[in-house]
Amino acid sequence: MPVTKNTLALATYVVLFLIILAAPLYFDVFWLNRFSKFLVYGMLGVAMALCWGYAGILNLGQGLFFGLGAYSIAMSMKLASPTSLAQGSDTPIPDFMLWNAEPGAPIDLCCITNGSFLWIPFKSQFFGIAMGVVLPTLVAFAIGSIIFRKRISGVFISIITLAVVLLVRLLVVEAQPFTNGFNGLTDLGYLTVFGHEFDPYYVSTYYLIAISLVVVLVLARILVQTRSGLILQAVRDDDRRARFLGFDVPAYQIFFFCVSAAIAGYAGMLYVLVAEFASPTFMDLAFSITMVVWAAVGGRNSLLGACIGAVLINMVEATVSETPQLIEAWKVIMGLAFVLAVLFLPRGIAGLVSRLGYMIVRKPQKMPAARADAVDAEPARAG
Amino acid sequence: MSTASLTIDGLTVDFSGFRAVDSVSTVVDAGELRVLLGANGAGKTTLMDLISGKTRATAGKVYIGDTEVTAMSEHAIARAGMGRKFQIPSVFRDLTVRQNLEVAASPSPGVFANLRFALPSSTTARIDEIIELVGLGDRVDTDAGTLSHGETQWLELGMLIAQRPKVILLDEPTAGMTEAETMKTAAIIKAMRGEHTLVVVEHDMAFVKEIANRITVMHLGKVLAEGSVESIEKNQAVRDAYLGSKGIV
Repeated sequence: MPVTKNTLALATYVVLFLIILAAPLYFDVFWLNRFSKFLVYGMLGVAMALCWGYAGILNLGQGLFFGLGAYSIAMSMKLASPTSLAQGSDTPIPDFMLWNAEPGAPIDLCCITNGSFLWIPFKSQFFGIAMGVVLPTLVAFAIGSIIFRKRISGVFISIITLAVVLLVRLLVVEAQPFTNGFNGLTDLGYLTVFGHEFDPYYVSTYYLIAISLVVVLVLARILVQTRSGLILQAVRDDDRRARFLGFDVPAYQIFFFCVSAAIAGYAGMLYVLVAEFASPTFMDLAFSITMVVWAAVGGRNSLLGACIGAVLINMVEATVSETPQLIEAWKVIMGLAFVLAVLFLPRGIAGLVSRLGYMIVRKPQKMPAARADAVDAEPARAG
Repeated sequence: MSTASLTIDGLTVDFSGFRAVDSVSTVVDAGELRVLLGANGAGKTTLMDLISGKTRATAGKVYIGDTEVTAMSEHAIARAGMGRKFQIPSVFRDLTVRQNLEVAASPSPGVFANLRFALPSSTTARIDEIIELVGLGDRVDTDAGTLSHGETQWLELGMLIAQRPKVILLDEPTAGMTEAETMKTAAIIKAMRGEHTLVVVEHDMAFVKEIANRITVMHLGKVLAEGSVESIEKNQAVRDAYLGSKGIV
C-alpha cells in the first residue's frame, strides 16, 4: 500500500522536474526570465511548507529571510555595477552613497557614510553568496532560540515574526545612506562565478534556478523523511508528549526554522539574479502573507504541493495582470481561494490530487474497509 | 534483593502559601508497581508533575536510581529514565501508530543524531513486540488521531514501553474506559511490571487490587500511609480520611 502512494508522489516529482528542465527547449529567454521568478516563488513555497506544514510554525515573516538573502547578494552585485566603478574613486562605491554622503566625506567605502564599511567584504561575490544563506540562518537561529526556548507557540509566533519583519523593513528604509532606503538596490552588475556571468536573460541563469529548485525539493524531502523529520512532525502534533519522551523540542524547532530560513534566503538571492533589484518591498507584510496563501492553496503538508501551488498561482497572476480590469479583482480571487482552501481543502491541491490519484489507482483492486480508511486519512503526506 | 529505582526525599511545592505537596518522601523499588491513592486535591498529579519536571519543586530531591534529577528539564529527566503518561491521552495524532512508536523508540534525543533513516533492526523488532503486547496489530498504519479512546491509551502505554524508561508514571490509565478495556489495560500494565518500575495514580479499587504491589495514600499533600493492600485496608487513619468506614470494596 505505501508503495503506491510513494509511487504517485515520485511520479509527480519526476514530471515536474522534466517540465522545468525542458522548458528552455520551448520558450525564449524573455519567458524563461519570467518563469525563473515563478520557480523562485516555488522555492519559497517549499520553505513555507517545511516551516508551517511540517514544523507547525506559522511564520508570517518569511519575507525577512528572503529579503536578507536578496540584499546580501544585491550588495555584491551593486559593487560590481559599472556605475559603482565610475564614482571618481579607485574602488567601487555605490552611487547612492555619494548622494547621501556628508559634504567632504572621503570617497571610500570605509567611511563615506555611516556603516558603509560593512559593504567592504561584499566586494567579494563569494562573500555575498555566503552571506545570502548564512545571514538568514543566523537571524532565524537568534529569533528561533528566543521563541522556542521560551516555549512561545501558536499565534504568538506569528505575531512575533510579523513584528520582526516589519521592524527590519523599517530599519532598511530608514538607513538610507547604507541601504538606499525605500528605493532599494538597483542598477546592479552581474554575478560572476568562475568567470561565468549570470546575465538574467541567459539560459544558464534559468538552469541555475531550475536545478537549485530540484535540489532544494529533493533535499527537503529527504530531510523530512529522516527520523528527525518524523520527530519534528511529532513535535508539531504534541510538543509536550515529545518533551516527555526525552526530545529537546526547541532544538528540533530551531533547526527546521533555520533550514526554512536558509531556503528562503537562497530564494532571495536567486530572485535578485533574475529581477536585478532588491527592495524593502520584499519585507512587506503582504508578500509574507502571500507566501502563506501559496502554501495553503498548494497544500502546506506537502513540499511539492506548496511548491507547485506557488508556481501556478504566480503564473495565473502574471497572465491575469495583463488584463487591467482583472488586476484589482485578482486580490479578491486570491482571498477567495485562500478561504475556500482553508474551509474545504485543508490539505490544499496536493491533498485533493493525491486522493483523486489514489482513487484511480486503487479502483481495480479490492481493499479491506479498514485499510481504505487509513488511506483517506493520510493522502497529504504523499507529497 | 531489591534496589531503589525512584527515591523521593522531602519533596515540597509551595504555590504562594499553599503547599500542594508537602514534604513527601518515599522509595519505590526496582520492578515494583506502586499505586498512589488519594481524594481529589490530595496532590497526586502535582507529585507526578514534580517528579517528571513539569513543575519545579520548592524543596526536596528526586533520584532515579542514583542520579539526582530534581533540577533537570523535562526532556533531560525523560532521558535519565523517566516516562510519563498523562491523564488526557496524548499521542501524535497525524502520525500512524507505527510512526508513533518509532518516535518513542528513537534511541538518541538530538536533532543531528536523528538525521538518518532506518531504526536499528533490534529496535524495529521491539516495536513489533510492543504492537503485539498492546494489541494494535491491525491498526499499525492508521493515523493515531482516528483511534478509539481505549486504543489511544494503549498506544500511549506502548510508546512508554518503547521509550524504555526505568520509571514510568501513569496518571489514571483507565479513566473513561469500559470494563473490558480496563481489563486489557490491567494486562498490559502487569506485563510492564518487573522490567519497569511503575507509579500509578488510580481510583478504580478493583483495578488497584488487581495490579498493586504497594500503596501510598496521600491526603492534603502529605503521605498518610504506605503499605500493602491489606495493611492499607486496615489502616484507621486511611479509613477516616478517605475510604469511609466501609473499607476497600
